[in-house]
Amino acid sequence: MRRSDEHDEIRKQLALYVAGALEAEAETSIAQHIATCPSCAAEFERWQLISGGLRRLPTPQPSAVLFERTHAMASARLAAQAEQRHNRMVLIPLIIFSWAVTVAGWPFFRFATGGLLSVLDIQFRQVWILFAVFSAITWLAGGSAAVLLSAHHRDERRLA
Amino acid sequence: MRLFAGPARSIHMTGSIASIWEGRLGVDAAVLQLRRGDPDALATLMARYQNRIYRYLLRLVREPADADDLFQQTWLRVAEKIRSFDTSRNFDAWLFTVARNLAFDHLRRLRPSSLDEPVGGDSPNETMVSRLASADPGPFDQMLAGERARLLAGALENLPVSYREVLSLRFEEEMKLEEIAAVLATPLSTVKSRLRRSLEQLREILEMGTAGEVRE
Repeated sequence: MRRSDEHDEIRKQLALYVAGALEAEAETSIAQHIATCPSCAAEFERWQLISGGLRRLPTPQPSAVLFERTHAMASARLAAQAEQRHNRMVLIPLIIFSWAVTVAGWPFFRFATGGLLSVLDIQFRQVWILFAVFSAITWLAGGSAAVLLSAHHRDERRLA
Repeated sequence: MRLFAGPARSIHMTGSIASIWEGRLGVDAAVLQLRRGDPDALATLMARYQNRIYRYLLRLVREPADADDLFQQTWLRVAEKIRSFDTSRNFDAWLFTVARNLAFDHLRRLRPSSLDEPVGGDSPNETMVSRLASADPGPFDQMLAGERARLLAGALENLPVSYREVLSLRFEEEMKLEEIAAVLATPLSTVKSRLRRSLEQLREILEMGTAGEVRE
């Protein structure tokens, strides 16, 4: 490689060299070159002024008020998420248990009311409908209570 | 003039390996605690990263009021998404990615054209190095030697956002190129070429001595 080509090649890489973005081999080669070449060394020094200046730029800092406000808001969000997770963990087993009780209660309900049903002459189909209506009202009441409680909690958190 | 000491390496040598490891372990422990919903862990992480995140956001959006707002949004997002963070990954890169996504969404809403990439084209600026070599070093050196920080900050502000970003991550945050590639979600080669172009354009602005040359 001609000497001038070598200079050009080195200078093209100086920006990445000062950024520490070259492979070790290329870095060594550049370091050796600028140790013996005053003009490339001067060029390197200029790049170094820029890179050094960038590293020493003053660091702007967020205000203490911003920090506190952000921490308070993020903590509240963490708490809300924790509560949601907790509610989910409680509600899911509760729902499964309720359904199990409902299904298991059906034969028991028939057995317990068997004598009465025969006295009153109520047919199987009518009992099934009554049972379904009773279950639906129970679930609806439970669901409404859960929604109202959740809304109440949310309002309390907002006011806090 | 240090010829043989790699410029970036000399910075890294100032911190002892032990303290780096302690810091790393501290972050990992705080992240695990935060995943369990501990607000103290959040305070620890915020105290550790507040200046870096704020500086990065400010470099991207330039307006302190916007940086304040994005700073807040970043930590809210962190609190929301920390459970989906893969602990085998680098927390720094994840955190900066969260901040970056919010900042770019904000910039996109503000000025969609400002995010057009690339600025200045992908081919290297062949003529600039030779032009710089023949330029009179007097004013340039004086300019840098004088109010270097102010001039640099001014010149930096006139770079396109993708250039400001890569320079901030490399020189201010001292991130490794691989980490920058992770934050930017781009290949390493793109990070290198963007880094080179951003330095060249920064130098070009400094040499012109004006902050008016914007190719954004």
